Amino acid sequence: MSDPSSQLSPLLRAGHVAHCRRCLNGLPASQTDVDASRLALSFYCIGSLDLLGVLEEQVSVKDRKSWAQWLWEQHARGKYGSGFRPSPFMTAKHLSESQKELEYTDYDTPHIIMTYTALISLAILRDDFSRLDREGLLQFISACQREDGSFSTVPGSNESDLRTLYCAFAISSMLNDWSGVDVPRALAFVATCRTYEGGYGQSPFCEAQGGTTYIAIASLQLAPATGAESETLTPLERQATIRWLLDNQDKSGGFSGRTGKDADACYCFWCGAALKILGAGHLVNSAALAMFLSRCQFKYGGIAKSPGENPDPYHTYLSLAALSMYPPEASATGTYSASWNFAPLDPLLNAKEETALWIRQHIPAARI
Amino acid sequence: MPLPDPDGVPLFAERPEWADVLPLEQYEDVNPIAPIFYTEEYKAATNYFRAIVKAGEKSPRVMELTESVIRQNPAHYSAWQYRYETLTFLLASTTSDSTPKGALPPLLAAELTLMDELAVQFLKTYQVWHHRRLLVSLTKQPSRELALIKRSLEVDSKNYHTWSYRQWLLSSFYGADENGREQDDDDEGETIEAREVWEAELDFVDTMLAQDVRNNSAWHHRFFVVFHSGGTEHEAEKERIFKRELVYAKQSISLAPSNPSAWNYLRGILTHTRTPFATLETFVKPYTVAQKSAGDAEKRDIVDLDNPPPSAEAELPCVQALEFLADIFETQGASEPGKENTEKAVELWKSLANQYDTIRKKYWEYRIREAHHGKEPRT
Repeated sequence: MSDPSSQLSPLLRAGHVAHCRRCLNGLPASQTDVDASRLALSFYCIGSLDLLGVLEEQVSVKDRKSWAQWLWEQHARGKYGSGFRPSPFMTAKHLSESQKELEYTDYDTPHIIMTYTALISLAILRDDFSRLDREGLLQFISACQREDGSFSTVPGSNESDLRTLYCAFAISSMLNDWSGVDVPRALAFVATCRTYEGGYGQSPFCEAQGGTTYIAIASLQLAPATGAESETLTPLERQATIRWLLDNQDKSGGFSGRTGKDADACYCFWCGAALKILGAGHLVNSAALAMFLSRCQFKYGGIAKSPGENPDPYHTYLSLAALSMYPPEASATGTYSASWNFAPLDPLLNAKEETALWIRQHIPAARI
Repeated sequence: MPLPDPDGVPLFAERPEWADVLPLEQYEDVNPIAPIFYTEEYKAATNYFRAIVKAGEKSPRVMELTESVIRQNPAHYSAWQYRYETLTFLLASTTSDSTPKGALPPLLAAELTLMDELAVQFLKTYQVWHHRRLLVSLTKQPSRELALIKRSLEVDSKNYHTWSYRQWLLSSFYGADENGREQDDDDEGETIEAREVWEAELDFVDTMLAQDVRNNSAWHHRFFVVFHSGGTEHEAEKERIFKRELVYAKQSISLAPSNPSAWNYLRGILTHTRTPFATLETFVKPYTVAQKSAGDAEKRDIVDLDNPPPSAEAELPCVQALEFLADIFETQGASEPGKENTEKAVELWKSLANQYDTIRKKYWEYRIREAHHGKEPRT
């Protein structure tokens, strides 16, 4: 492809690093709604730095240590087991200084999505996980599973959907211990979220959506073999899912999250990763994908959901993760090929392969 | 007591009615990741909230406090959780003698009014919808909710939370059990009500699709209403419903051929009822060729409900029709010794790969390879 219009502009790596570091340093009051999910935002920032390959060179050992220390500060034990809280947003100063190991209350429990992001973030920082309470973590996952097989965000809550189920599966897989999960019941719940379009909705009866389709496909793949029928897709189901996912790549080159909606950078990851897991990654138009994401870049750093929008760590991370799976060919990047170069990503855990390997080596309990 | 926006309202520390509470500041390590530079109002409200939670206080002023926290951070799930628990505690402890029979307790009615406002303001926040589910489980008045969602969808016709909530309401209150029978069918009154609700729901979908035939959320909802309402077990009735939906999908395609939502719906109902795609060959073919001017125009005057032709201004051929016809040929070719139809499918896929749907070139080439290797057809 020598057509100059198909030549990609450079990936603004330094700008994206700066965007993530700015967010790690602090967020304006207008971002107060992140208060109850700060750990997730931290993961998108630290994860972006990992994908961009700059953690060792550009972040001091001292900074990395202090990040890990803050993450461990969110680790809490209590009557539902152990896990990570989103931030200290419900933790009071008076209590903490005198009694650091005080058990959490019912309003300050670990959160299952935050726990998943904390484990990956710590693995990125190459923590040795010697402080991880593995038994407590299994107890916590188990406390989150509901009668219908789904998982709540925090124990006892009614707020549940496929996202939390994936987190429970990913954590069990990281621990290499599934004793905290009723797998057949969970898989039966996944099956009820499938729709006639071939994708999965967020809850039973809901419209097929790219994010929850990734969640469902990744969960099916992570699950240990139990012999349950709902464990694997039939060949026709698999083909229908691949068709629907590919159909979401529109003329802009980006993926939309639902049939007929506009493309959004985050779905380049969700749909792209689901396709990768289904063994259909080679069918994605990666040149068009990179072209779309290059246009989502904000000139002062960070990647937005679509061209012309404001960037944020969520879309920045997921765009970089999509590019790690679907790097554009050298013929499309020309002089800027170095800027588009990424290490491979593990689509199942959503982490760089090297980081996923660290997880596999350090999170499971040591076998005696 | 709904508060106006926090601006202009004195901080809790300055208000005498809160003087008995010692606020608890947030713990934060010396080196926090991504600290938020909170406003003074938010700090104040959450400091008091932490203190109230620690004391376990569940009083009317907690409703005011949690509202203040929520308005500043609608994703503060602990504030929502504590608010709900306080509400149910207060409802249980107030005497219901003063409330007229059949009417909601004033506290619950006020909460619903406030939620109607917040649902619009924080349309994309999970917690807003989660709280509504809890409330409707208390009120048992799903019809009021259906009316609200209708208004809310007029503002944002594809909002995922809103549609999910509607699907949850319908399945929870009027849903069918696993055998396709309606719940509570020993109670005839409720069964009739449920049937009326599902009928009205189909009208509602019609209206939404009439406004925007490309609204996939509405198409999805249609599938849910038609096939998950457990309306009938009679084969003849099932057949009538299937035919009706088939006509509906075809008519919609005829009005706007390049509409993937309608084609996905068509594929969905065929697969659901195990109807071969080949039964639609006559319908699909006119959509797979370029518009011809003279002869076609005459044909359009003949009303053929089974095979409505593409509109005169339609851009043809249509990608989805080419794909559909190729699926038919692929299936037919699979059982032929000479594979003539497989080659016809391949020609269509080639035209998609090279001309009509080049973004998916790799996919169409993959379909060609699969068909040549004699893989199972997909329909």
